[in-house]
Amino acid sequence: MTPKTSTPAPSLDDFLTASAALTGFDAFELHATGMAELYHDTAREQVGDAALGRLLDALAAAGGDPDGIADEIARDIARALAHTWYLGVWPQLAASVHTALGRQQANAAFTVSPEAYTEGLVWRTFHGHPAGAKPPGFGTWADPPPGAPAVARAGAGAPGLPGPRGGGA
Amino acid sequence: MSTLPPPPDALAGPAAVPARVEEPPFRVPRDRADLHVFLQAALTLEHLTIPPYLTAMYTLRPGTNRTAFYAIRAVVLEEMLHMTLVANLLNAVGGKPLVAHSRFVTGYPALLPYSRDRIPVALRHFGTAALDTFLYIERPEYVAEPPGHPSVAGDTGWTSIGQFYNTIRTGLVRLAEELGEAGLFNGDPRRQVGPEDFYNSGGEVFPVTGLASALKALRVITEQGEGVSRTVYNTDDQLFGEAREPAHYFRFDEIRRRRSYGPHDTPASGPTGPALDVSWEDAYPIDPEAKVTHYPPGSAVRRAAERFNAAYARLLWVLEAAFTRDPAVLQAAVPAMLQLRDLSVQLYRNPHPDPARRARGLYASATYEITEELLGEARRSLPGGPGTTALPSGTRW
Amino acid sequence: MSPAPRHGRGRYDVIVVGAGLSGSLIAKELGDKGWRVLVLEAGTGTLDGWPGHLDALDTFYGALAKVPNSPYRPNAAAPSPDVLDVTGLPAGGYRARGYFVQNGPLPYSTDYLRARGGTVLHWLGLTPRMHPEDFRTRRTYGYGRDWPLGYDDLEPHYRAAERALGVAGDAAEQAAAVGLPFPDGYVYPMHAIPRSYVDDVFAARLDGATVREAPGAPGTTLRVTGTPHARNSTPDRRYDGGRGYRPAGAAGLPNYGERCVGNASCVPICPVQAKYTPLKTQATWDRRRVRLLTHAVVGRVLADGNGRALGVEYQEYEDPAAPVATTRTAEADVVVLAAHAIENARLLLVSRLAGHSDQVGRNLMDHPVLLGWGLARHPVGPFRGPASTSGLESFRTGPARRERAPFRIEISNWGWGWPAGSPGSDVARLLGIGAGPAQPRAKGVFGARLRTALGEEIGRQVSVQFLMEQEAEERNRVTVDRRHPDRLGNPRPVITYDLSERVKRGMAAARSVSEEIFRLLGAEDRTAYEPGPLSPGYFRFEGRGFAFNGAGHGGGTHIMGASRGTSVVDAWQRCWDHPNLYAVGCGSMPSMGTSNPSLTMAALALRSSERIHRDLTEAHRPAAVGPLSPEPVGDGRTEGPA
Repeated sequence: MTPKTSTPAPSLDDFLTASAALTGFDAFELHATGMAELYHDTAREQVGDAALGRLLDALAAAGGDPDGIADEIARDIARALAHTWYLGVWPQLAASVHTALGRQQANAAFTVSPEAYTEGLVWRTFHGHPAGAKPPGFGTWADPPPGAPAVARAGAGAPGLPGPRGGGA
Repeated sequence: MSTLPPPPDALAGPAAVPARVEEPPFRVPRDRADLHVFLQAALTLEHLTIPPYLTAMYTLRPGTNRTAFYAIRAVVLEEMLHMTLVANLLNAVGGKPLVAHSRFVTGYPALLPYSRDRIPVALRHFGTAALDTFLYIERPEYVAEPPGHPSVAGDTGWTSIGQFYNTIRTGLVRLAEELGEAGLFNGDPRRQVGPEDFYNSGGEVFPVTGLASALKALRVITEQGEGVSRTVYNTDDQLFGEAREPAHYFRFDEIRRRRSYGPHDTPASGPTGPALDVSWEDAYPIDPEAKVTHYPPGSAVRRAAERFNAAYARLLWVLEAAFTRDPAVLQAAVPAMLQLRDLSVQLYRNPHPDPARRARGLYASATYEITEELLGEARRSLPGGPGTTALPSGTRW
Repeated sequence: MSPAPRHGRGRYDVIVVGAGLSGSLIAKELGDKGWRVLVLEAGTGTLDGWPGHLDALDTFYGALAKVPNSPYRPNAAAPSPDVLDVTGLPAGGYRARGYFVQNGPLPYSTDYLRARGGTVLHWLGLTPRMHPEDFRTRRTYGYGRDWPLGYDDLEPHYRAAERALGVAGDAAEQAAAVGLPFPDGYVYPMHAIPRSYVDDVFAARLDGATVREAPGAPGTTLRVTGTPHARNSTPDRRYDGGRGYRPAGAAGLPNYGERCVGNASCVPICPVQAKYTPLKTQATWDRRRVRLLTHAVVGRVLADGNGRALGVEYQEYEDPAAPVATTRTAEADVVVLAAHAIENARLLLVSRLAGHSDQVGRNLMDHPVLLGWGLARHPVGPFRGPASTSGLESFRTGPARRERAPFRIEISNWGWGWPAGSPGSDVARLLGIGAGPAQPRAKGVFGARLRTALGEEIGRQVSVQFLMEQEAEERNRVTVDRRHPDRLGNPRPVITYDLSERVKRGMAAARSVSEEIFRLLGAEDRTAYEPGPLSPGYFRFEGRGFAFNGAGHGGGTHIMGASRGTSVVDAWQRCWDHPNLYAVGCGSMPSMGTSNPSLTMAALALRSSERIHRDLTEAHRPAAVGPLSPEPVGDGRTEGPA
């Protein structure tokens, strides 16, 4: 555990507001992962309430626009949070930030939980699903994804391609 | 049976008046048209339990209660098998299954039909109340004779689901004698869903082409649910050459009591096998009477709940097309159900938008509400949607 | 009633070393014919039950690198090689750690899995047959080694393997597009797995187009062709003379197992077990006759002075994390090594058997894989469905083989997962996170811009995989060296590996074809081969850089042939030097063509089981099995009453 102060713990709601700004996914979508509390706890454990508060403050000061975060410590925590939401993996912090925070734990990447992987947001950015979970069903891989043109079915119309009932009864 | 739990607390009843499922008259079906009414009612009944089971499954917190998840999942798939077998029965005797209709979906909570008792069936999160309801639905019990039998001379209505199915069986046998087997089973064989469309889910679908397969279908439906008298297990080993499993009632009983049945356990002994890891806390509590209108218009939760109902309406059309036009369409039913999974879990993980309900720790939920308007929209979206591109060429919608 | 055999002391009719694909099929066939079979598996059996399967899934979910062995827990008693064992150096070259000792010019970066079920637990599940000309490249094209049997000899066993594994495919299309002969009217057990949208996009642009693999070379016409899979699809009513086919469900959970639902994780694990694994075959073993012992590391094959195999010596351990072993022996009339090409060779070398031809361990092969990747013009829906549902088959056969290695092209459904570690690497890159914590970080993109950028980039990722045939070369080999033991004291494999000029010429041709494919697709070719930690297979050839990967298709270490002087096993996979010792699997293949080899391996195993049955029948009759009490259903431990 990192430090130390009696900084009030950033609330889950504040954490989610910041997470929405960092990820581009709204609060409904973030809740929908079922990971909100776990990531809130993980962030507090990994960088401490003070540093997490520092990010939230920096983001608020920038009017909620992550691009406006000037402080490199806050920015690297922002990277870590977005990385976690997108992949379920807490990443290594920049070595300088790790040192500056005086973290006790190793600066190692880890998957927050098995379900965190399956709830990663990155898959949703392209209307996919996590590899190995939430399967969409037989043959769905043949459907054009959103935004893609319909193309002729490969082999469609080719002779000798009967339906499941043999002759297409 | 001594091991039966008392009726669930919930049976004291939610405040709302539960919907009533239309029941056929209390008599043995007299002719073909009558039989169609009975089988359509059976189709409605088999469907009725699926949304409550899905709700329990998908309200589990991610990664928890896996034993319960797979047990409920197995039951859901068998209910889908039953529904498909009933559709085969109805088609076999020249009927036309009706699925995509607001009458088909009663709305929840609903009263369990064909029951002597007043049992509301609600959409509940995984928990003891949900399990108690499931146990009630699937309970093995004394099954009264069909109407007209001297032993039920004083009865004016149905007393159990088993009795309802026994009555269908009696009607089928009588009508087969009256009309001749070929005369009764005059449906279009191309409507029959076969094993290539649905398999490995505690049995497989088989075509109903005559009295023997019709009676086998009825046997699957009743034995997988309630089991065979004096045993915990179903008869999948005899019916399908598959591993036998505890019948639905006993699978739910295992979860409810957090202990599995051993190979020598009986209904009287109760489960004495290994303990099961069941955690009632690891579920998102929901309002069993939730309606879409409870969510603020325009809110993300409202939109998600509406999206869910639209996808549900589409699933009903997929099933109707599979049962009335081309069994190959059934291939697209699983993708449609998996879409319901994705849409519903997003709701269950979101706190209820109503502050009062949220304060009670409740989460948003999928409401399984169907209107003619939703069905109309869903119909216009066909034949598109997940899994439809890969249907064999020439599939008829 | 025959007495229950007692492992560690008793005699069996057959000992099978390894509970993977070949071993499971052979045990099934021989057990069904009445022979008493002991299967010794070096790894654990935890994957057999549903809790073990779920544990593997969780381990996969939690793994930072989703490599083929990532779901399966490490085992110090029976270590497995891992693709992460090999890393590239900044200026080319590689460093190897882990189970293999490597001393070749190029790395052998292919893995396998020592556990009940074997490497086929994490296979992709593609089951193309080998082409008839693959069996006779020496006679036809003047390179490699010929098989002592041909396609026609193996054809009935291909059909048997397609039944045993449950293959979905379109035989008519395979016949037309690949030129495979099938018996009239043959259909696979199940209808083809639907092609992906990616396949459709490729087909729309590529079908009928002609490409040249070098300026002035003859043109080759492309056609996107569906690939057969051992994956549950829609059963074909016409199969087996109209009797149809019943798909096999999951091992470990009754009445579970459905059509492929598109988890898109075939490698390394199919969550619903729609994909074949040997555990499905094991579930059908006659348990009165087939006895499985896991945690049993065979260290040596025992033989008498006349070359007759007597049995095996094995080490039994309990804890795979801190193994302490007890050495035991088991005896049988026939010993079958089915432990993977490299493990089979290692066992023969350690046992100093089958060495007359000096070919044991030599001719190590793989399908070296060259990758090409690009960005399509519009979303293609990557990371959906099985890893590959179609391929381009035109470069597998024909006279070009005289000059360069032939190759099969797999169209990937999984974006840049293999070539670039997508989508994780894309997220890190856009956030400004570099290779490590010390590297300066870019400012990074957040919020809606991050979401949109990822969606637009990942959604358009396409890639192709070129599986090169690698011809048998004696210099590519496995040896053993007592100075490099594993935790139980067994010598680790020492690998010497390189690519021939003809393979490299094949890769150069493949690279040209790759460029043509992306040009035809209208896709932006993003392929780049650079030395570095993720490119241990980097090399330069004719002034250009290339980087290859292992396919996990290890073979060729105990090749079969027509004579005792030049090969290790005969056409039945029986050691020339030891009439009752079989070495089965991809190690027997004198060439692997361009087909993913598991189906051919299965066909060979089924063929060998017929020969073993004949051998045993000549010696004595099968034991009659009386009404023995079967072991409890689902008992994965199967320990004997020793």
